[in-house]
Amino acid sequence: MFKATRRLLSAAACALGLWSAAAQADTITFWVNAPMAPNPAAPIYEEIRAFEARTGHKVNLQPIPFQELEQRLFVALGGGAGPDVMAIDTAWMAAFADAGVLADLSERTRPVAAQYQPGPLASGRYKGRQYGLPWYTNNVALFVNNDMLKAAGYSAPPKNWAEFRAVAKAMRALGPDKYGLTMGSGRFGVFQLYSFIWQNGGELIEESGRVRVGEPAVAEAFALFSDMYRIDKSIPDTVLTAQSWDEVFAPFIQGRAGMVISGDWTIGSIRRGAPNLNYTIAPLPVGVRPATVIGGFNITVNAKSKSPAAAAELALFLTGPRSVEAMRKADRLSAQASATTPEALAALPANQRPFMAQAAFGRPRPNVPIWAEVHSSILAPAWDASLRGLMTPQAAVQKAAAEINAQMK
Amino acid sequence: MSRTGDGQGGGGAPPTRRRAPLSSVFETGRGARIYPYLLVLPAFVIVLGVVLYPVVAGIVASFQDLTLRTLSRGTVSFVGLRNFERMWADPVFWTALRNTGLWVGANVVAQMVLGLALALLLNQRVRGLGFFRAGILLPWVVPSVVAVLTWRWMYDPSVGIVNEMLVRTGLLQEYFPILGDVRTALWAVTVESIWKGTPFVMLLLLAALQMIPRSVTEAAQMDGARGWRMLVFIVLPQIRLAFAIAMILTLILTVNNFNAIWLMTAGGPLNSSEILFTLAYRYGFERMNLGLASAVATVLFVFLVVVTTVYLYLIRLRDEG
Repeated sequence: MFKATRRLLSAAACALGLWSAAAQADTITFWVNAPMAPNPAAPIYEEIRAFEARTGHKVNLQPIPFQELEQRLFVALGGGAGPDVMAIDTAWMAAFADAGVLADLSERTRPVAAQYQPGPLASGRYKGRQYGLPWYTNNVALFVNNDMLKAAGYSAPPKNWAEFRAVAKAMRALGPDKYGLTMGSGRFGVFQLYSFIWQNGGELIEESGRVRVGEPAVAEAFALFSDMYRIDKSIPDTVLTAQSWDEVFAPFIQGRAGMVISGDWTIGSIRRGAPNLNYTIAPLPVGVRPATVIGGFNITVNAKSKSPAAAAELALFLTGPRSVEAMRKADRLSAQASATTPEALAALPANQRPFMAQAAFGRPRPNVPIWAEVHSSILAPAWDASLRGLMTPQAAVQKAAAEINAQMK
Repeated sequence: MSRTGDGQGGGGAPPTRRRAPLSSVFETGRGARIYPYLLVLPAFVIVLGVVLYPVVAGIVASFQDLTLRTLSRGTVSFVGLRNFERMWADPVFWTALRNTGLWVGANVVAQMVLGLALALLLNQRVRGLGFFRAGILLPWVVPSVVAVLTWRWMYDPSVGIVNEMLVRTGLLQEYFPILGDVRTALWAVTVESIWKGTPFVMLLLLAALQMIPRSVTEAAQMDGARGWRMLVFIVLPQIRLAFAIAMILTLILTVNNFNAIWLMTAGGPLNSSEILFTLAYRYGFERMNLGLASAVATVLFVFLVVVTTVYLYLIRLRDEG
């Protein structure tokens, strides 16, 4: 009888333990941009499995196409719902943080802040509070078709603006269907311009809120590219219609355009579209100073998550030391400080090193809540107007500055 | 056995009385009066929830400060006509309004004319016509996203077949960025929309043509009606109701045709192909201002209701006259 009682008590203890474990384990929904989870073999799934094994929490991973992610988050979060954890573009941080839909992670981040690269960590901050943890960081560099470069008579990628324009012209001369550079229209094109605005000593919106878009340095950056299209004809007409990164890359992948200004998200597209393309990734040509636009994605937590502790745990896990290797496998750059040591840089694939090499010159886009509107509805049309010769670059940027000032009020 | 049922004389069991079924409540009196309403009630509830509530909520939203910020903080407030004032003050709104007029006008006129022409052609008794009827329906059955993206490639400034045909026929000297030029973007999308929508109009009008009694057309022929006279004085009056319905539906479908514009040009370049529907989308999902987006949607809704009501009233007047 004693044995039976002991067995009964053991069974009861096991059941209690299992019940307790089940009660503490949460199911978290995680929305991620689809390029990070293109198939079940993607590194993110391995990270999720490791997290689940370590913590007992269950993660429901949902990849969302990049072009839909912002709108779907807006609808879900605006309705008081949405995922527990979400990967969001650094450019969206201010708008979502200002709306109050992101959880304040300042206290949880303070003990581990030194683990992150300062620039990317700052991209997750709004009004002094930490709302996002940097998952991966990127910047834009110059992709160059080596065969077209050599045929144009150059042995190395351009290092400054004058060389850049000359190389593009020389590539254009290679044939009627050959061009020097492919660019995007609207918001894709103006994104490619930001690096050159800063390189020319220009600014967009200062931290104080002062709008400097209308200054000559910005107009000169616009003029460089609109002249390359209108005068040199070294950019194909797809610049007038390209509305997605795939359309921007297409002439480069097809071997019709010799250069493209883009980030590490291009590498996968080239691998799929033209795996044998002979190309180099080089730092951007330098203006009066070096600069490149930094971007990337942050991991954030829904302010109304029903599992805030588990959600924060996932955010810290995904952006922690494991992210160095995970991002290397995903052709991305981890935002961990340990990813910038000489050993880590040496371990980077060759195609990632140029991005890291210019990371020190990275500049984030202005941290204002209306940035999405400024980018898509004000600066993008300014680029389109300048490109088509409907306005001079100076008039286009001055008009944009006036509109931004009106919106900022 | 006694049949009197009064229990007298004989000692047999009283006859069992059958209970009236529950449905008999609806056979007479008040039950019969409310029965039709009960039958319609489920459909009415669905229409209320899926149609009426969103429309009313949208109109109410146009008078509110409804942004992601106010939604998440619970500070949504009534702001009167402020959203409409901002909308009217935006030059892009007037551009979108003008474009919507051009877009709808060109689509309705072209689809009605082409649809009628095709219906008249297909209303013949010719062998093998079934094949052509099926073929003409193809644009309509292709999913709209597939159709739009295919036309986008056809208009491509580097490899598009439209450019190739225009160059080979001598209409162009070289390839032209049709979707990238402010003068041609809207019209290029209009061509796709006409191609896509015409078969639907053709179907409606063909069905109406086939309902015209032969005795009417034969009598008219005996009186000497031929060609245009037959069409204008006999055929068109016979199908005027179907014509009106086709026109109204085409107008509504065109105003609401978001896919064609958004996927081909996203309202660009420089708002040259922006219509009110895409503008509402921008206000809502780029500016994250649902109040402003709802103001545009309300303007669209009122426009459609007014146009539809006036048009149907005119048709009814003509019928009664």
